[in-house]
Amino acid sequence: MNSKQKYVIIVALVLLAAALIWWFASGGEILSKDGIWVEKEMTELDKALGLEPQKEYQEKFILGLLPHTAVFSGAVVFISTVLFFIFRTKKTKETK
Amino acid sequence: MKTIIKTFFILFVAVSASFAQGFKVKATGEKTFNFEDKYGRNQASFFSTTPLEDITGLSNDVKGNVTFNVADIKSLKGSVSISASSLKTGIELRDEHLKSENWLDAANNPVITFVIKKVGEVKVVADNKLEAKVTGDFTAHGVTKEVVADVTMTYLDASEQTKQRAPGDLLGIQTKFNIVLSDFGVENMIVGQKVADKIEINANIVGSSGM
Repeated sequence: MNSKQKYVIIVALVLLAAALIWWFASGGEILSKDGIWVEKEMTELDKALGLEPQKEYQEKFILGLLPHTAVFSGAVVFISTVLFFIFRTKKTKETK
Repeated sequence: MKTIIKTFFILFVAVSASFAQGFKVKATGEKTFNFEDKYGRNQASFFSTTPLEDITGLSNDVKGNVTFNVADIKSLKGSVSISASSLKTGIELRDEHLKSENWLDAANNPVITFVIKKVGEVKVVADNKLEAKVTGDFTAHGVTKEVVADVTMTYLDASEQTKQRAPGDLLGIQTKFNIVLSDFGVENMIVGQKVADKIEINANIVGSSGM
C-alpha cells in the first residue's frame, strides 16, 4: 500500500465517520424527512374545552439513514475503492 | 288504582333520572352541535408507527353534528366525517399515494365517517366534563366496521369567552381509537413495513349549538 492509497483510505474513513456522526446527531432516523409536525400553542378556550394541542407541519430537513446517508456512504466506498485500484495500478507500472 | 299507577310512574321517572348521566350545566333539553368550522380549526388525525417510519396524517376538513339531551349523554346520536382527499402527511407525493386506488381510493370513497350507535361506560369527570366509550360504525375505503372510541366531552355554556370561537354553547370532543387497515380492505405491500396495519385515529373537535 503506497502513500496515496493510505490517503484515500483515511479520507474515506473520515467522510464515513462524519456522515454517521451527522446522521446520529440528526436523531438517528431510518428515513430522511422533509419536515416535522409541531404542536400549536393552545388558547385558554381550547384548554377549557378539554382539547389536545393541534399539530401543524413545518418544513425542516432531517437526515436519515435512507436514502441520503446510505447513498453518500455507498458513493464514498465506491469512489475510494476505484481510487485505491487506480493508485495500485500506477504503482505497479512504476516498479516495472 | 290510579294512585298506585301514578306512584309507580313517578318512581320510574325518578329512578330513570337518577341513573341518567349527563352534563350539569345551565343548558337543558336536547341540543344539536355542528362541527363545521369555516376556519378549519377542527382536526382529525391518524398515526402509524413502524420501526422504519412514523407517519402522522391530518385533516382540518371535519364535518358532522351530534344531538343529545344535556342531562343524558346516552341519548347521543350523530356522525362526524372528513374527506379522504383532505388528509395531509407532510409529503405531497405520499399524500397522492394515500388518495390512490391502492390506499384510500378517495375518488370512489371520498368520505371517511364515524356514525354514533351507542354510548357506554360513562364517567362523570366534572359537572361539564364526561368520559365515555362510544360505539359507532367507522367507514373508510368503502368498508364499514364497528369500533369503540374513548371519548372525552366538555360542555361550555355560551359566554363572552365561547363567542370568540362560535355562537351558542360549545361542545369539545377529544377522541381516540384504533383501526386495522387490512379490516378495511387496504392491502398494500408496504403495510406492516413503512405503514403499520394498526392505525391510531384521533380527533380534536369543537361543535357549536349556534350554527
